[in-house]
Amino acid sequence: MFHTALTSADLIFLAKGAGMTILVTAISVFIGTLLGIVFGVLRGQLGPIWFAPVTFVLDIFRSVPLLIQLVLANAFVGMVLRLHISGLTVACMVLSLYTAAYCTEIVRGGIHAVPATTRRAARSLGMSWLQDMRYIVLPLATRIALPSWIGLALGVMKDSALVYVVQVTELLKSTQILITRLQEPLFLLLICGAFYFIISFPLARFGGYLEKRWSND
Amino acid sequence: MKMITLAAALVAATGFAGVAQADKLDDIIASGTLRCAVVLDFPPMGMRDANNEPIGFDVDYCNDLAKALGVKAEIVETPFPERIPALMSGRVDVGVASTSDTLERAKTVGFSVPYFAFEMAVTANEKSGIKSFDDMKGHTVGATAGTFEAIALEKQVQEWGTGEFRPYQTQADVFLALSQGQIDATVSTSTVAMANVKTGNFPGISVVGKAPFDTDYVALFTNRDEYGLINYLNLFVNQQVRTGRYAELYEKWVGGDLPSLTVPNAYR
Amino acid sequence: MFGYTFQWNQALARLPKMLDGAAVTMEVAVLSMLIGIALAVLLTLLRLSGSRPLKAIATTWVEIARNTPALFQIYMAHFGVASFGIHFSPFTSLLIGITFNNAGYLAENFRGALKAIPDTQTRAGRSLGMSQLQAFRYIILPQMLRIAFLPMTNQMVWAVLMTSLGVTVGMNTDLYGVTQDLNALTFRTFELFAIAAVIFYIITKIITLGARLIASRLFRY
Repeated sequence: MFHTALTSADLIFLAKGAGMTILVTAISVFIGTLLGIVFGVLRGQLGPIWFAPVTFVLDIFRSVPLLIQLVLANAFVGMVLRLHISGLTVACMVLSLYTAAYCTEIVRGGIHAVPATTRRAARSLGMSWLQDMRYIVLPLATRIALPSWIGLALGVMKDSALVYVVQVTELLKSTQILITRLQEPLFLLLICGAFYFIISFPLARFGGYLEKRWSND
Repeated sequence: MKMITLAAALVAATGFAGVAQADKLDDIIASGTLRCAVVLDFPPMGMRDANNEPIGFDVDYCNDLAKALGVKAEIVETPFPERIPALMSGRVDVGVASTSDTLERAKTVGFSVPYFAFEMAVTANEKSGIKSFDDMKGHTVGATAGTFEAIALEKQVQEWGTGEFRPYQTQADVFLALSQGQIDATVSTSTVAMANVKTGNFPGISVVGKAPFDTDYVALFTNRDEYGLINYLNLFVNQQVRTGRYAELYEKWVGGDLPSLTVPNAYR
Repeated sequence: MFGYTFQWNQALARLPKMLDGAAVTMEVAVLSMLIGIALAVLLTLLRLSGSRPLKAIATTWVEIARNTPALFQIYMAHFGVASFGIHFSPFTSLLIGITFNNAGYLAENFRGALKAIPDTQTRAGRSLGMSQLQAFRYIILPQMLRIAFLPMTNQMVWAVLMTSLGVTVGMNTDLYGVTQDLNALTFRTFELFAIAAVIFYIITKIITLGARLIASRLFRY
């Protein structure tokens, strides 16, 4: 079918790139989600006015292209602070904050969707704030937030294609390296695209399914 | 109390002394690794073999430098636009990345004496009918973003007033675009042009002539204030020429007439 | 304090060039949004149509747009399709890439919006003698666009941010491309990109505030 110079060594090379994409995504989504939950809850507690400075900072991560965020963070950490930090670390730091910025909104939306009357009822039953959070807000808010969160995690995976600017060889960069040597752009790009699709599509569908199921009852 | 002040002063003094002595040359030797920024889609200076391992003139040059320093070499791949950020962010110690020593850039980084010199050549897609540098007028041309030739070519296209200039992120993308017919011609270093045409990967392109740009002297670079290391690099480049290693590497990767690294009637 | 001397004046001297770039960025973003909305409406119609092959085309489009990186889509629009001998300029490639992405995401938003509009409305329209298309055009579409207005604003912001990916296909007239060109010339990476970041931030703020203003005027009831 296809005549290709692609060798098994090249496939391993691509797989390594894919592994890097998954690693960067996993680390960033994990840290970003933790931060997002902390910020989201804090915002609910402090109110929008006291939380405004944090909102402002997080908003920057959603208003500036990720490519520029990465270039700037890289230049700042290295050129200005002169810290010797690997590109992978810079990539994970930026992507974590990027994730946190979106995740905060999702968490806020989730908590907001829990009716105030329900929470007041819980408190009047003698539940502490922590108990209210744990037994009332968490289960209800998760239903609202989880589908969006899956979308966010997949978004971060796709956006991680940009970390090549800080010398992290992820999937798309590995593909470009092979294109340089093999000169089979279409074939290699299709492999690369298929990989993203295979990971993203089922999870996105699963998110859609959850959303549908949970919105009915 | 006195003791504490004394101890604090001592700590501070040694601390400052330590900072003052922390010279990059020492750091490299102490760490046992020399990290070089090399562009790996720039054959024959930097490329990858069938196992995707880095090879090329710049790779060998970095290995030689590491050997002279008595340390291990580590090749860090950096695309052209990312060379200086990689150095500035401390991800690499030295750039062995075919970097033109322009005055504008020397405001930011410190250059050694030139270690290689490029002639610029025009490579064209045969369908475009371009036979010389001047034929490019009015055509869509491209080069690698951030290189000497890209800056010169963009200026030339602006002077001509017709045609279009497109900078691509990598040398590979330029030749890919050229063979696909997205651009009609490119200006690149003649070594790169020859190497790419010779691979046979890009049907329908050929080197059609020289570009009338100045000889592109390229130098090793490191941080601007690392005089110790820059001195070492200067001597190293000199030794490479003196010992015949430069000629040897040139023959191995490029072949043909050895370019002179000195400018007539000038000190440096 | 830092081991780095900022040279803001060197970078600020290039501000006019960067503002020109910002204009091109806006041009790409606005065009990609306008065409993207039109295509998304079309995709929505295809998905509503009974025909299986048409549905399949629309679904494939939406799923590819949503499940692969935008960078991949733009790279494909330039280097991928060129394997078939189809050549697009960097501007067109970028526009196609972003538009493809916009249309996919917007179509999905529209689908969500449609769920909020009761079927009975279409049936009421039909019983008044409207054709299926008329019912869609006059009853469903206006409501759909209104419900999906906020997601559309977000997509517009993303479209602006996505223009930064144009450099991978040889674009050098947009804000990111101009900044990168200047960086190659001067190596003042931090200063130049910081200025670019501020410009992008202002653009996105104008879009979100503008959208809020439009929304408050259009959807007052």
